Amino acid sequence: MENEYYPWGGEFTVCSPNGCVAVVLLTIKYTPPDNVAIYGPLKTENIGVEKIVANVISNPYIRYLIICGDDIRGHRSGTSLVALYKNGIDQQHKIIQALGAIPYIENLKEKAIERFRNQVEIVNLIGIKDNDKIDEIINEYTARSPPCFGEPYIAIRIKTTANVNLDDKRALHSKIVVNYMGKVKKRGK
Amino acid sequence: MFSFTKKQEIFDISGIEIGGQPGRYPTVLFGGVFFKGEPDFERTRRHLQKMLTLSKKTGNPVIPDFFIRKDEYIEEIITFIEKTLPKNHPFSIDIIEPSIKIKTLEYLHKKNLLPRTIYNSIHIGITDEEREALKKYTPEMAIIVAFNPKDKSPDGKVEVLENGAHLLDIGLLELSKKLGIEKILVDTAALAPGENSGASIAALPVIKEEYGLPVGCAIHNVVEKSKWLNDFESARKIVDSSSNINIPVFGGNYAIFGPIENADMVLPIIAWQDILVSEYTENYFGISPVEFHPRRKLLQ
Repeated sequence: MENEYYPWGGEFTVCSPNGCVAVVLLTIKYTPPDNVAIYGPLKTENIGVEKIVANVISNPYIRYLIICGDDIRGHRSGTSLVALYKNGIDQQHKIIQALGAIPYIENLKEKAIERFRNQVEIVNLIGIKDNDKIDEIINEYTARSPPCFGEPYIAIRIKTTANVNLDDKRALHSKIVVNYMGKVKKRGK
Repeated sequence: MFSFTKKQEIFDISGIEIGGQPGRYPTVLFGGVFFKGEPDFERTRRHLQKMLTLSKKTGNPVIPDFFIRKDEYIEEIITFIEKTLPKNHPFSIDIIEPSIKIKTLEYLHKKNLLPRTIYNSIHIGITDEEREALKKYTPEMAIIVAFNPKDKSPDGKVEVLENGAHLLDIGLLELSKKLGIEKILVDTAALAPGENSGASIAALPVIKEEYGLPVGCAIHNVVEKSKWLNDFESARKIVDSSSNINIPVFGGNYAIFGPIENADMVLPIIAWQDILVSEYTENYFGISPVEFHPRRKLLQ
């Protein structure tokens, strides 16, 4: 699996790019075996979930997403990810029936979410912190060796260039003007 | 270093004033308590004393930010606040879980502590039950987090304050006023590296000029999430503490600086920065520092 956009972003470790299992770590001290495709912690129920979805669908070899450890208090990021998988999002882009504080998916198209829901099966081990047991389950799913899902789906492309020109008089921001001494006023006033 | 055209609000909570033109009031510092594990009251008592002593030295007001993670901690933490903090000293309660927020408000009301309470925080995830609780048990002051998951730029932050960015029926500022909270501190929502983390700093002067409200953020969170710093272990705490200078430099009024244990570094760093800002803003804009400003206290 070689893809210029994979992995997309966030805090993670890539192991075996053609592995079929990705592991999401909630509150747990655990390092998955090397045969997984990717693993990393999940903190927030919005941007964190988006990064996992974007990463997973950019690697079609990933077919199982194992979520383990105690859920993050307040954020409920793990159950929010499960809710996204089960229910999708509503018109306000809120994850349906998610219990997290701010469970909004704002940076992914519905098509990307649908792809995620179709590509992977979630293995919900929320609350389980027994490393041996998790190892065992990972090995069990790895042994299933499912086929690749198809082409990678690039959900988010990282902007690498910015357009800047010498006529741009924004000192800090388009809403304010700052003179040479540091006096700030609203642009246009 | 800036001065704003818009009139700048100054809010008082139990004797601590937050806001105004840069250079007038010292930066207010929120030190976090009980973020991890079981609350360790003895250790916290020592750190609180230390932070309060440092505050007297530099002139920077300090406010402990109590993180309440579980229902069973509510009563013991509030009893600790009552017994340990100096009489009438303000504090903030930092809670994620809406149900714990509601129970805490109720208990603070019972203990008659709401006039000293800063509610941390109101954001787009506010539930109907939380709204009702805030109407009934209204804290003196609230931190409004300008987090917009769709647009992390200063524009997105303004949008969420102004109209709720389609995630809420109204903007967070109007919502807070409807709940009866007049004293608002805007938190510009510092996000992880890679998520336009710098926008939380750029948004400080933008929001101050737009609304005249006191602004700040927890910029140290960006440092905490900069995993590459793990390779520079001796620098981590210094980077974490000094990241806070961004706030007074860009016109902000308060910093939520992370664990109270870092107060010994953060207070002198911010006092130093406040002096620098004050020297410039007095010279160029005629803003005199208040009597207890670090510039008056420390420069003899």
